[in-house]
Amino acid sequence: MNGEPIYGMMAEFDSAAALLEATKRTNQAGYRKIDAYSPFPVEGLAEAVGFHHDEVPLVVLIGGIIGGLTGYLMQYWMMAVDYPLNIGGRPPHSWPAFIVITFEMTILFAGISAVFGMLALNGLPMPYHPVFNVPRFAFASKDRFFLVVFSSDKRYDPVETRKFMEGLDPVSVAEVPS
Amino acid sequence: MSARAFRVQLDLTPPPIVRKISQRSLIFGVVFAIAVAVGVLVSHNGLDEFYQGYLLGYMCWLGVALGSMAILMIRHMTGGGWGTVIRRVLGAAMRTMPLLTILFIPLAVAAAQGHMYPWAMPFESIKDEHIREHLINQRFITQSYLNVTGFIIRAIIYFAIWNVLSILLSKWSKEADSPEGRDNGHRFRMLSAPGLILYAFSITFATIDWAMSLDPTWISTIYGLILLIGELLSAMCFAVVVERILVDYRPMSELLRSDFVLDHGKWMLTFIMLWAYFSFSQWLIIWAGNLPGEISFYLRRIHNGWGYIGLALAAFHFAVPFAMLLSRPFKQNIRKLVWLAIWLMLMCYLDLFWIISASFSVSLSINWAEIVVPIAIGGFWLWAYFRNLASLPLLPAYDPQSAEVLHPSHYIHV
Repeated sequence: MNGEPIYGMMAEFDSAAALLEATKRTNQAGYRKIDAYSPFPVEGLAEAVGFHHDEVPLVVLIGGIIGGLTGYLMQYWMMAVDYPLNIGGRPPHSWPAFIVITFEMTILFAGISAVFGMLALNGLPMPYHPVFNVPRFAFASKDRFFLVVFSSDKRYDPVETRKFMEGLDPVSVAEVPS
Repeated sequence: MSARAFRVQLDLTPPPIVRKISQRSLIFGVVFAIAVAVGVLVSHNGLDEFYQGYLLGYMCWLGVALGSMAILMIRHMTGGGWGTVIRRVLGAAMRTMPLLTILFIPLAVAAAQGHMYPWAMPFESIKDEHIREHLINQRFITQSYLNVTGFIIRAIIYFAIWNVLSILLSKWSKEADSPEGRDNGHRFRMLSAPGLILYAFSITFATIDWAMSLDPTWISTIYGLILLIGELLSAMCFAVVVERILVDYRPMSELLRSDFVLDHGKWMLTFIMLWAYFSFSQWLIIWAGNLPGEISFYLRRIHNGWGYIGLALAAFHFAVPFAMLLSRPFKQNIRKLVWLAIWLMLMCYLDLFWIISASFSVSLSINWAEIVVPIAIGGFWLWAYFRNLASLPLLPAYDPQSAEVLHPSHYIHV
């Protein structure tokens, strides 16, 4: 405690069920700015930390629509406007032939939007993150489960919050330096 | 083998409403059957119209039963609570196979007496000139494959396959109703893998015999798959409708979770996308080829009013349901999802109407039998279905996979 800014308080658990239970209790205790970390997806955990919806589906939808329009209009412009070719006597604007490319472009743009939209909304790449200041957090990608209450939470108090989190039956509790 | 060390204390008996629906359906079936009989006698061309409506209605309800069996076999291969919770809902549909076998008889009679199927008629009485010429010039078609004997022998083979699969799957499922029953998971898998392949082949041949042969001049290799995916879609939609009825009562109210409903919605989305994919593939390939022998199918189905049905299918069998099913909250909510399920069952009917009935009339028209006969068959089929549903517990409680659906409070240890 030398006046260094504090990022939050971290508790470590040894099972997904314990983390889920602790997260629910922390939420019930009124803490809102919390986050949980686990080596694999835990069903119900997102709801427990109060995570309701994200913007990725919207980004994917917009990406897909742009991709579809690009694919169709590109073919229309090439086949019917810029360089019309007579293929088997069909009209230049033959929509059935355009559908496959339109579909592929929709999938391509939606897929790329999903990946980059997810990265952007997650703030990635992120070369520095305070949680790694706690050495034991390295186990979050192996077999340990972590819950963090951020110091930005209104109810955060260095002493009270630590006491509360020790009451959640964790393996260890540590303060996270910023 | 050994008895389980626990008992399931949740009462899994289906609610009384199931028997009530069964009785009501029978009344419906009888009333409409009488209407059909009157229609056949009164109408000028009654018998032909009857057979046309009968084929349409039969394919609709056969689809629900076979589709249910296929979804059950997929579940046996993949596992998952979504399928366990509706095992008996699907199983009851599968166990209507004996009734559907009997209901096939009128179609066999139609072929044997030279109705409906041009290849079963004497050449001179085939009305469509194009088909008559084709059959006269290519006599091997009727001599080698499309003849009444072959039609009936092949039908016996299809029904033998479907009945054997249905009998084995339901017999092993019943064993899991008592704590002494053994775990049949391995047998289910050993049967379901070849069973799914057999189903895909048998339904392809069956649809060639029963529906595609209405126009013996035309062939498409993806035709069977289009009808197959329609069967799976209508079966999943039917299961959603039944679970909506059951969810107001115990035990389904205790078992059905929103994540299972979400999975059922995802299956519906998968099936309509596959339906669109198969249907569009057939259209694109035939359109691109533009050969006289192939394009006739679509020329008939885009002109003289039939094109509106095709457009309606693209919009309401695919585009609108697709957009609706993208929403997660919608898929999770059984009370909303059920309306789309009912709608898609109607669209499956419309799809078959477009594929089958356009063979009977050059311009868009619907006769009385194409509405009344499917309802009459549906009445009898639903009677058998809900009787089957009432006859077994709603979950094979002692199958180890049922643990995924049951809650810890449903067990007592002994």
